[in-house]
This record gives sequence, C-alpha cells and structure tokens, in this order.
Amino acid sequence: MTTTVDEAPGAVRPARRAGRRRPKMSKRRKKEAFFFWLFISPWLIGFVGFLLGPMIASVYISLTEWDSFTPPEWVGLDNYAKALTEDPIFWKALWNTFFYAAISVPLGLVIGVWLANLLNKRVRGRKLFRTFIYLPTLVPLVATAMVFKMVLAPSGPFNDMLGWFGIEGPQWLLSATWIKPALIILSVWGAGAATVLLLSAMNGIPRELYEAAEIDGASAWRQFWAVTFPQITPVIFFNLIMGLIGAFQIFSQVYILAPNNNVGGPDNASQMMVTMLFQEAFSFYHFGYASAVAWLLFLVIMTFTVIAFRTSRKWVFYETEVR
Amino acid sequence: MVDKVRWHTRAGIAATALLGVAGLTACGSGGGDDDGTLSMVVWGGDAEKETYQQRVDLIEAENPDIEIELQLIPSDQYEQKVQTMISGGDGPDIMQVAENVNSYSSKNQLVPLDEYIESSGLDMEQRFGPAGDLYSFEDQTFAVPDRSGAMVVFYNKDLFDAAGVEYPTAAWTQDDAHAAMEQLTVPGEQWGYGGAGWWAQWWSFAYQNGGQIIDDEGQPTANSPEVAEALQWANDLAHVDHVVPTPAEYADMGPDLGGDQAFAAQTVAMNTTGFWGIIGLAEADFNWGIAPMWQNEQQAVTGFGSGLAVTRDSENPEKAFEAIELLTDVEAQQVLIDNALDVPANLEVQQSDAFLHPEWAPEDLNMGAFGESSEFIIRAPFIPEWNEMMAAFDDNLGTFWNEGGDAQTELDKVQTQLESIIE
Repeated sequence: MTTTVDEAPGAVRPARRAGRRRPKMSKRRKKEAFFFWLFISPWLIGFVGFLLGPMIASVYISLTEWDSFTPPEWVGLDNYAKALTEDPIFWKALWNTFFYAAISVPLGLVIGVWLANLLNKRVRGRKLFRTFIYLPTLVPLVATAMVFKMVLAPSGPFNDMLGWFGIEGPQWLLSATWIKPALIILSVWGAGAATVLLLSAMNGIPRELYEAAEIDGASAWRQFWAVTFPQITPVIFFNLIMGLIGAFQIFSQVYILAPNNNVGGPDNASQMMVTMLFQEAFSFYHFGYASAVAWLLFLVIMTFTVIAFRTSRKWVFYETEVR
Repeated sequence: MVDKVRWHTRAGIAATALLGVAGLTACGSGGGDDDGTLSMVVWGGDAEKETYQQRVDLIEAENPDIEIELQLIPSDQYEQKVQTMISGGDGPDIMQVAENVNSYSSKNQLVPLDEYIESSGLDMEQRFGPAGDLYSFEDQTFAVPDRSGAMVVFYNKDLFDAAGVEYPTAAWTQDDAHAAMEQLTVPGEQWGYGGAGWWAQWWSFAYQNGGQIIDDEGQPTANSPEVAEALQWANDLAHVDHVVPTPAEYADMGPDLGGDQAFAAQTVAMNTTGFWGIIGLAEADFNWGIAPMWQNEQQAVTGFGSGLAVTRDSENPEKAFEAIELLTDVEAQQVLIDNALDVPANLEVQQSDAFLHPEWAPEDLNMGAFGESSEFIIRAPFIPEWNEMMAAFDDNLGTFWNEGGDAQTELDKVQTQLESIIE
C-alpha cells in the first residue's frame, strides 16, 4: 500500500527517504499532490463507483438467488455448482466460446501479419490498399452483420464463390455446425485493425538489419523470420492478449447474426458465455446465476491471459532486454 | 505528527470511496416525482409515440388533475430498461405489459387492480369480453387490456383467382388450408403459405387439435400427441410438401425476411399475422383480403395484445388506475383506430363503425374478422417463466425448423426442459 502511495507525484522519492522519517512536505509538493488527486479523481471515482463497486456487488450476488426485484436469497456456492455440474448449456457455451477464441484469434493474427507484410512492400497504390484493409473496422457492426446475412445466405455470394471450386456451401447461419465458422469469418473480416498496428511496428524496424541480412545472403523468407518477426512480436503479443479478451467476451456479433433473434442459434450452437449470461440476467431474471457465470468467465479469461504471459518470455522479443 | 502524505492519500481514498458509494445509492433512491405527475412507459417507435401521446393528451385535456409523462422505449430494449428502472426503485407508475406480464406480477412488482376495478365500477367482462381476465395471475388482476387483436389469415386475391381457389374462411379446416396451399404453389417461385415457425402461428394449430402447451394445472404438456401433430404438420409444409418457403429459402430472399415481407412481395399467397400486416400492405399493388384463422377439431387462434399495469413503485396507484381506466375507454381507444396502430381491446370500439370501415383500409376489407376471431382466441400460458419457455422452444427447435425432422422427438426434449423450468 505505502509503496504505491509513494509513487504519487509529490511523494518522497525512495532515495531520499532511506533510513529516516519523511520530511514535511514542501508547499510545492502539497500543491502537486492536490492536483494529482484532482486530476485522477474522475477516473478513480468512475472506477470505484462504476466498476469496483459493481464487481464486488456481483461477487455477493453470485452467491445468492436474485431476480432483481425481490430481495436476494443466500444460496452459497449453489450457482457455481449448478453451472459446473448441472447446466449443459453452460458447458456448451463455454466450449463454443473456446472454439471461437481458439480459432479466430490465431487466424486473425496470422492474416493480420500476412497483410501487414504485404502492405509493407513497395507496391503501387500502397496507401489505397492500407485504407481498404482498415475500412472494415470502421463499418458499424450492425451494418456488417446485415451484409453478412446476405453474403452467407444458403444461395448467397459466398456459397456461389465456393461453387466455382466445386464446393457445395453449407447453410452457414442456419446450421448448428457452421454458425461458429460463420462468426469466425466475420471476425477475420475485421483483421485490419491488427494490421495497422503491425504495420507501424514493421515500419519501425531499422533498415540496416535487413541490409546486414541481405549481405549475409538471407532470402526474403529468411529475412521475415529472422528480422521482421522477432521485431514485431511485442505487437503480436499485444494483439493476442486483446484478441483473447475480446474473443471470450464476444456478444454483439452473435446477438445480431443469430437467426430469428434467437441468441442461442440452432441448438444453442452459437450460445456464447456473454450472450448466455445476458440472457440469464435480463431475460430469465436469474441475476445470481448470471453473476456466477460472469465470474467463471473471468477465471477462464484470466487463465488464458496468464498462460499467454508466461509463455511470452519464450517468444516475445524486447529490444531493451537485449544484453 | 500526522504524516501529511499519508493523510492526504487516505483522505483521497476515503473521499473517492464515499463518492462511489454515494453514486451507487443514488441509483437506488430515485423515487417518483411528488408533483403528482404519472410516468408511463410503453414500447415502440415513432408511430406508437404519436398515438400514445395523442391518447394521453386527450385524457389530460378532459381531466385536469391527471398529468402523464410518456416515455417510449424501443421494443428490443423494453424489458431490460423497465427491469433496471424497477430494480433501481424508480419504476414507472404505468407500464405496458404483454406475454411477459407474470414475470413481474409473480415477483410482486405490479399492484393488484381488483380493488380499484371494483370501486370504479369498471365491468371488465363487458368492456373487454374474454380478454378481460387475460392478465390475471393467481386470481388477481394485474393489467387492463389495451390492445388486443387476433392473428388473421391474409390472402392474395389475385393469386387465389389465378389459381381458381376459393378465398379462405373461418370454416376451413387444416386440410382445406393444405389443399389450397398446394394449388397456390409454383415450385421455386411462389409458395402457398408464409409458414408457421413463430410460436403464435404453430401454437394456434396445436390448440386447434385440442392440445395445450401448459395445461390448466400449470404443468407443461408440450409433447402431447396433439401438439406434436400440429408441429409436424406446420414444419412438413416447408420440408415435405414444399408449399411454404424453408428458412434457407427465406434467407436467400434477404436478411431478416419472413412471411410478412414475402406476402407483400407476392411470393407467398397466404400469411398468418397480426393487425400490423394491414399497415404493411398499405402500398401493395395487388388485391388482398383478411379472414379469420382456419380450424381443425376446434376453432383456436393466438391473440396479440398488450395491457396497462401499475407498478409497485407508483406513489399514487389509485390515480394511475384512473388514468388506465380512461385510456381504455371509448374515446382514447378510438385513437388506436384513427392512427391505424392496432386493434383496440375495448369491444365497443372494436365493433364500432369506425373500426369496421376505417378510411385507411381497402374498402371491402373484412375488418369483422378481428371481432369474429376474438370469440376463439386461445388463452396462451402467460407463465412467469415465459422468456425461458420461449428460449426452450427456440433452442430445441432451431435445427428442426431449418432442416426438418421428427416433431415428437424434439418436443420430448422441450418438455424435459420445460419441466425443469417450471418447478
């Protein structure tokens, strides 16, 4: 606690503090501290009131049965037990979310890196292409989803295209098997957001590294793996973490794309963790259960983020760490 | 000596925490206005806003002591919004309710109106007919019907004439309807009927067979032979008989397209839907008509409607009820017709000349179909777990509707789920 406190501007620096009592604050320091609290307060108040408060409340709610109208009834860990042992939909939603995240995040990264690498080449109309790649990110999701409903129609353009290669396209959104791949296609369509970040990381790579590699006779492929890739790993890592968190919390896409406004999709095939907890809370009035699901989701996301961080030492390269 | 830095820090943290808590509690203590203004929430868009406002203005003009502040909430957000208002202690005085009414009444969020009904001398039976006790739960009345119209059969006269088929009537059986659908179908181009994938549609057939989704004791009977037969019939129309577009065929027509749009595009010759279908066809350049729903062993059809209820948060439930009473009286109900918004629940208005021959409808349109249907509207089971029940049907029947299959098998799954939902 004290260490964090001491980080505040106006607080005493550790070097001067060593071994003796803190001296009285100077007038300037006091003023500085005052402004520190003044400027941080909007965020702090927002955080405590609208994030930390509700979060703590939701821990309590998850231990109760609460319909949001009548007083909550304490049930202990029943909600968690119900989710983990009784409710088949919970496991299905967890699996669906996992499936979606496990494919859409790596796929989005690979495509993002590939596109960024292409756009980094000196080709005619490069700026135009860069703009086009980013455009999908700017289109409102609702509009995108409407277009996708048409594109993925059973006899729609996408299946027509597959038809050129002799593939008979599935019914996508209407099929329990194909609705998740359809959602993944939608997520990949927005890979341009990652591309822009990766591209700027690529631009920051010193030319001389490539020159040196070229002199050593490295092929373009080899240059990519030995120079470009290690240099952009921090950005890839950032995109991975953000992508994971985003993918596990997928909501709007499902909400809009699922046929007939039935969030679960055929046979709950597109039921995700967040759509499920939304439905439990705001449609079925099971706030306690929904809160428990939310905390279980938090644990899942936390686990994957920790795994990503742990393994990052092995593959993420920070120039500043080179000794 | 107090360590100033530490003190500042603590004061800062304490102040933040306090403000945070204050912010939270502020949400909880909204309360209604004391100036006697009634707040009222309804769902819908611009058309609803205009109509409800006109009705409110009308009763305000004649009753100076009533003042209503109307709030429109988009339909898809209505439930969440109202739920948040109520659980925040800031519920409206008057709220619009429908199938989901008992989610609120069973949780003690609505004021039972029987006492007020009695003292005002309002005769529910006389004013609303069978719909009068639609919003009752455990022998208490929780809402007064406001809008109430049966589902009716829309038919394309041009297509019927071309195929030489007699127009539908209430005397039709399911078999007659089926025969007509076959005659009206041109494979790959035109279908006889828009389909019955929506609960309101196929439940009508189940009740026509003498089935029930929830029996009179409140127990689910969703997998009874009568219900299964109706569901099988409804789905086979698309996947076996091909007289109804399959979901895949609908998806090919356009995003979010259903029977209503397909009927307007003359792709299907018949469609079963509510009053709003008439407005949707205002600019149709073909001849069409409406008829009461066909039947089977008995006459049965789903009704669409909504009622007005008073919430627990109302500071003046008596006045709120007075306003509801006026809103469902002849004059204010008339606005529903004038604006072509919906079928008024008030029978006197429903049978009035204004409703039977409105200026916005094609001249020979059989508006009496609504009145005729009100005799056999089914009492849909408005259980407190309505939303969960809907989800149980949607989830389990999704693949069935999309790809066809055996109704009994799917309904057995639904039944199991319903049994666990309704304890």
